[in-house]
Amino acid sequence: MTSLRHRPVTNPGLAARFSRAIRRDWQLWVLLIPALVFFIVFCYFPMYGVQIAFRDYKAALGITGSKWVGLKHFETFFKSYYCGRMFKNTILLNVYGLLFGFPIPIILAILLNQLNNKRFQSFTQTAIYVPHFISTVVLAGMIYLFFSPTSGIVNKVIEAFGGQSIYFMIEESWFRPLYVGSDIWQNAGWNTILYIATLTSIDPQLYEAATIDGATRWDKIKHIDIPHLIPIAVMMLILNCGSLLSSNTDKALLMQTSGNIKTSDVIGVYVYKTGLGKAQYSYTSAIGLCLNVINFVIIMSVNAISRKLSDISLF
Amino acid sequence: MAKEKKQHGTRIRETREDRIFNAVNLIFWIVVLFIVLYPLWLILIASVSDPDAVLAGEVLFWPKDFSTIGYEAVFQYNELWTSYANSIYYTVVGSVLSVFITLAAAYSLSRAFAGKKIVNLAITFTMFFSGGLIPIFLNVRDLGLYNTRTIMILMNLVSVWNLMVARTYIQSSIPNELYEAAVMDGANHFTYFFKCVLPLSGTIIAVLSVYYGVARWNDYFTGLVFLRNRSYLPLQTVLREILASLSISGSSETFFAAYADNLAGMQEAMRKAEVAKYCCIVVSTVPAVILYICMQKYFVKGVMIGSLKG
Repeated sequence: MTSLRHRPVTNPGLAARFSRAIRRDWQLWVLLIPALVFFIVFCYFPMYGVQIAFRDYKAALGITGSKWVGLKHFETFFKSYYCGRMFKNTILLNVYGLLFGFPIPIILAILLNQLNNKRFQSFTQTAIYVPHFISTVVLAGMIYLFFSPTSGIVNKVIEAFGGQSIYFMIEESWFRPLYVGSDIWQNAGWNTILYIATLTSIDPQLYEAATIDGATRWDKIKHIDIPHLIPIAVMMLILNCGSLLSSNTDKALLMQTSGNIKTSDVIGVYVYKTGLGKAQYSYTSAIGLCLNVINFVIIMSVNAISRKLSDISLF
Repeated sequence: MAKEKKQHGTRIRETREDRIFNAVNLIFWIVVLFIVLYPLWLILIASVSDPDAVLAGEVLFWPKDFSTIGYEAVFQYNELWTSYANSIYYTVVGSVLSVFITLAAAYSLSRAFAGKKIVNLAITFTMFFSGGLIPIFLNVRDLGLYNTRTIMILMNLVSVWNLMVARTYIQSSIPNELYEAAVMDGANHFTYFFKCVLPLSGTIIAVLSVYYGVARWNDYFTGLVFLRNRSYLPLQTVLREILASLSISGSSETFFAAYADNLAGMQEAMRKAEVAKYCCIVVSTVPAVILYICMQKYFVKGVMIGSLKG
């Protein structure tokens, strides 16, 4: 009884609160720790290491031992001959990807939802997801095979219609259409998932009421489906904007040939080739950092703008 | 009564406009299905056709001059099968670890505890900002993991997106009453997680397995950046060598070296190699597609539950 009187009744200290929380929640922390360790070691350690962008990194001296050179590498990059070309290539690839790749899944989802025959509908849904499970290596290989100038099916068709065979993979003007087109072929179906999920969660009574009021299918799409899809579409748009400057490095790398290098030379590929191939660690870290910062700023601003205009935001 | 109802119908008849819409929609989907499935079909039939017919572009809708010459060449190519075994190892061990760690963390984040906000923020932040390729590479090298099998397991172990999908699933489909009842019966977080959450998470486990498994099976970049030892290489890297060396220059040292000695001449090796490319694609892609089709049932359902927030 006496011991109770001595116990502090108000505001236990931070340390006390901490130890009590740990005692209560330690099992949750144990379950969380493997994932946390992964994020710390493989995401936050490199973020600490990114300071080599401001140093002349020498492996023997270590990260903090290497000489601090400030913004030297950034200046070199922005003054370099390839800088403008790489930015243009990267941005154009993503802008085209967004322009064509963003609306198509929405259209597909709406039209899939309108199919009457349920078996055909579920078969179609299964089928359009399949290309997503093909690896980038195989996709690039398929492009090489189908667009080959000698045995490729595309050129056979062109020739059958009396056209001239085109060597698609070494023509720089064909890199972007092939890259974006194959991306749509592979992922447009898969990207319908979220939209289909949204459409199936719409209250069926809405459709019934609309039918009774004499709405056609087209009216229902316009006045029920599309308004329901807008919030999720805006969210996907924000997410996509966040990667305007990052590119699918391995795909560009796999599709790059000496012929199309003028359009296929994107920042990610350059960082990989120069950084790892020529061991220019500090210089390419600076390029990478630049890219990540710009991406981060873009996604934050798009998110803020969207929150202001439409109350839709990621966070 | 019932008959009468049927005759008059409780349904409003479709208008002419709707019937036109349906017809156009059906045609549209047939075209889409053709675009999606034809390239895959073409790979499949080319892989079992005669090399000459494939090279001449005569294989269009059905295998021509059926032959298994390509598959025979592929089966003799040992490096491909070594990498195949490597990829199976990386995929199976890696995915099991990934799924378990993701679920454990997802359960933890679905409960309230002090410090959860900071953890959430720290994890989400990695989705939008990363150190970049070179710092990641140097970090792995400094950890002594460069050119080891371990890095193929540890790289991309947990994906933030999958973690959030799993957390949403646990929050929305496992009722909190169950937790309260379990606690009443003396369960702690461990027993609740292993005895209640895991058994109820079949769908999300299936979904995560497909996500992680396919990503690992198809991963090309990790092996390219972090491995040097050829006996550790995953399937995709070797596949790339086969596909690229043949389609650009029309010659392949790896392929010739593999079986030039037991063939009549270069011409024959070239002929075989052309079809062997299609066979390699089939052999490497089939596991991922089969995994998807088997899991498909849980899959569509699970993705939808997990991806819809609230």
